[in-house]
Amino acid sequence: MHDACLWTALAFYALGILLIVPSVVQRRPSLSPASLGALGIGLAAHAAALAIEAARIHRLPVTDVRSALSFYAFMVTLAFFFVYLRYRIVSLGLFMLPLVFLLTLISVLRPVGSFDSSAFRGGWLLVHISSIFLGYTALFLTFVAAIMYLIQERELKSKAPRGFYYRLPSLKVCEEIYYRSLVLGLPFLSVGILTGFVWASRTWKGPWEFDPKILASMVTWVIYLVLFATRVSGGWHGRRAAYFAIFGFLAILVTFVGISVLSGQHGYIPKLREMP
Amino acid sequence: MNLTLLGINHRTAPVEVREKMNIPADHLTEAVSDLVHRAGIREGMILSTCNRVEVTTSAEDEVDAESIIRRFLADHHHCDLGQFAHFFYRLRQQDVVKHLFRVASSLDSMILGEPQILGQLKQAYATARSAGAMNGTLNDVVNQTLAVAKRVRRETALGTAAVSVSYAAVELAKKIFGGLQGKTIFVVGAGKMSELAAKHLLSSGASNILVSNRTYERAVELAAAFHGTAVPFENLYEHLSHADIVISSTGSPRPIINKNQVEKLLSVRKNRPIFFVDIAVPRDVDPSVNELDNVFVYDIDDLGHVVEANKKQREHEAVWAEQIIQEEVQKTLKRLASREVVPTIVALEDRLNTIRATEMERYQGRLAGMTPEQRQAVDALTRGMMNKILHGPITELKSGAGEPENAALVRLIHKIFGLGS
Repeated sequence: MHDACLWTALAFYALGILLIVPSVVQRRPSLSPASLGALGIGLAAHAAALAIEAARIHRLPVTDVRSALSFYAFMVTLAFFFVYLRYRIVSLGLFMLPLVFLLTLISVLRPVGSFDSSAFRGGWLLVHISSIFLGYTALFLTFVAAIMYLIQERELKSKAPRGFYYRLPSLKVCEEIYYRSLVLGLPFLSVGILTGFVWASRTWKGPWEFDPKILASMVTWVIYLVLFATRVSGGWHGRRAAYFAIFGFLAILVTFVGISVLSGQHGYIPKLREMP
Repeated sequence: MNLTLLGINHRTAPVEVREKMNIPADHLTEAVSDLVHRAGIREGMILSTCNRVEVTTSAEDEVDAESIIRRFLADHHHCDLGQFAHFFYRLRQQDVVKHLFRVASSLDSMILGEPQILGQLKQAYATARSAGAMNGTLNDVVNQTLAVAKRVRRETALGTAAVSVSYAAVELAKKIFGGLQGKTIFVVGAGKMSELAAKHLLSSGASNILVSNRTYERAVELAAAFHGTAVPFENLYEHLSHADIVISSTGSPRPIINKNQVEKLLSVRKNRPIFFVDIAVPRDVDPSVNELDNVFVYDIDDLGHVVEANKKQREHEAVWAEQIIQEEVQKTLKRLASREVVPTIVALEDRLNTIRATEMERYQGRLAGMTPEQRQAVDALTRGMMNKILHGPITELKSGAGEPENAALVRLIHKIFGLGS
């Protein structure tokens, strides 16, 4: 049942994305009801899949790579709807949703994780995980806005407007989305990381401070703190800030995906079972 | 349906002919009224703008509306139309529908996608209506025309990209700053072109304007016209940091704004973007300024390139618009045609109903002994037979609506069922 829902979500996401293409090509001021409908159905099916999984394991379904990716894809789609309703940027769909499709596809194809770890119980960890996911979602938006900014900036600097010039929002709007999502994402990331430290120091044995994933998330955190600070102090606008935001998101990717494999304590590897 | 359109436009006729054929707005009601009171004409509309004069009519079948329109124009302008005959184009039936759709959507305009034509058409329609010249097919067609023009506007970007240099500057400013609310414009060197650009920027929402000129009096004059502030030319650099958009057109032989100065400006402005519109030749802003982050410099040629790209963009959008129009023409023709077969269908139903009623009447006496149930059964039986017989011809009529062969079918049905003319 869970898999059927997830497959349905995947199919409708694909349909929704395909239906966005003509709207972007033809520069429609808003998405067609068909593509919004398809994405809406996809989102609903995805929500159902998550609910079924949550009911099965009795907690937030983020206990293995498969479910974590699925959950993240769901959050990004949700974020897309929010931003679309506020800004009506048709092309945003083509920047955000292919990731959703990819993540959903991966989580559909991976086998279900069978472990049931008591480590995933408890309030601290719930706060830790949900904050991290909210933070990652918002910062993905920062990343997308930074890319759109860079493309539009290049169009304007080149003085020979091509397709993107007409289809992307103004630099001002890109910066606004960028900044708002950064302001939203940073506190969540901070709470997520801090609760993670607290939880780790209480639960894990040994020198948790040197776990690669924890070090990587520290680096990520510092990048975003710098970005925020320079922005507040007024110095960093434009291209430089956009490059830094992209760098920040790459750090997230390294933390989230790369280090999960290396990390001893962390990551979605059955090693968790060995813990007390 | 008998639709005819006779007209001239900027492509078929020179301005001397267009102005001769022009019917001024204050004579329009009278003219339309004259037109529709001519024998055979049911409805009429006159669209008269500086680029086109078009007379559209819906006439009774078999009426030669073209000659009537020619005579009407000759009478109205008190001239012999013969000398102008070759400037006119004449369209009939579905070509009229398509032409009106294209005109209203600004696909037939001198500047592709310009928005005025729709307003002018609305005005022509309102005038025709108030003159009582709109009450049937043409009324439907024009109503549909307005809807199609709106659809084209909604679903394509035909009218969006700026196609003049000064509007291109506004469009670029919007691509950089989003809205222009609260933005400050600095006009350096007063000239016709910078004045025009400043005017467009102000009407798009920019709030403050500073003006500087080598002759201070001219700056004061222009500043007063825009409710702005004049800045002495010596103090130019001090005020430059307030400006989000700088429109420059001095007669200086070498650049007056260089990279170093702008770098300083940026640090004062905490890197808020600056947009230089450099209309001067030779240029006022050193081209290397464009290399700086958050600074955008467009000279007159750059603006020209944007306009060119935008024109291409409009042509590209026109392809989508033509597709929409094609589709809408088909839909409209189908609807008009199915309306044309309605009288035949009604007459046919009436005819069979009359037969049924007469026969029931005739057998009244012999059916008298039946129970109410039996009577109901006979009623249902005859009605059922009637509907079965009608089904074939009605389906044929409807499915063939709009096809040329349908006229023969209509005549045939009239003949074999004795429906009168």
